[in-house]
Amino acid sequence: MQLIIGGAFQGKKEYVKTMQGFEEKEMTDGADASYEDIFSCGCLYHFHEWIRARLLEGRDLDDLEKELSVRNPDIVLVSNELGYGVVPVDAFDRKYREAVGRICTRMAAAAKRVVRVTCGIGTVIKDA
Amino acid sequence: MITLVTGGSGSGKSAYAEDVLTGFGSCERIYIATMYPFDEESKKRVERHRRMRAEKNFTTIECYTGLKHVQVPKGACVLLECMSNLTANEMFQEDGAKERTVEAVLEGIEALDAQAAELVIVTNEIFSDGIEYEEETRRYQKYLGEINRETARRACQVTEVVYGIPLTYKNRTEKTDRTGEISDETE
Repeated sequence: MQLIIGGAFQGKKEYVKTMQGFEEKEMTDGADASYEDIFSCGCLYHFHEWIRARLLEGRDLDDLEKELSVRNPDIVLVSNELGYGVVPVDAFDRKYREAVGRICTRMAAAAKRVVRVTCGIGTVIKDA
Repeated sequence: MITLVTGGSGSGKSAYAEDVLTGFGSCERIYIATMYPFDEESKKRVERHRRMRAEKNFTTIECYTGLKHVQVPKGACVLLECMSNLTANEMFQEDGAKERTVEAVLEGIEALDAQAAELVIVTNEIFSDGIEYEEETRRYQKYLGEINRETARRACQVTEVVYGIPLTYKNRTEKTDRTGEISDETE
């Protein structure tokens, strides 16, 4: 598993295309993907949106990294890095922001490689 | 010695800070909690952190305002968590320092640093969402930004935790070389 993170509009998808040779049609948009879709795609971007949709469905994601490691161990996940702002006033916004943090922390621990993209430049912060 | 640990929400800052502190070995461990448990959500948060610290032999001291009055045993290893709560408390609680918030927090850090052998401070990155907040919230960001910068200046180590991965931007630790001389190493 690989995890590509960074702020919005930093060139994370471009980075995946250039560095990993993915084409647009091979990449799945997490914003419209179902729970099952994550287990059959090569690269899922907007992973944070995918998490948000699962929270709204009330789905438990406690074993996600274990399930991915069995069913789709080579997946490339692309997520916005959230949580660098003032604590949101809305309770669901707070829950969402924290869930993305906790889940990405677990994904980062399971991933063999984590890259943080800023201004289109990828910095490898984990390469196990 | 001060170690400053920063990061976004849910990034694993607390877990990393606890690892740093327990890494100092067997010393008296003090945890200074600053989050005022005003509702169910914050009570749960406190509970979660308590569970994480269980069995690590921390003595918890609660401090919502007036950090400089906190006394810890000489030579203790202290974990102070976190600056964003302490700053908000000083600004908005009745007995807080109000417009003297930055000074009050920094005086507190100085007083603790003088007593403790090791002081690990957890803070928060709340500066990058691009939302234009009202005056009061902007002032909160300004105060915390000043506190973070000033604390980083005094710290020997400054680390940002990104989804559990520590990125160390400053590391100045005293190391004794073979001749027994103390050299100041910066990397």
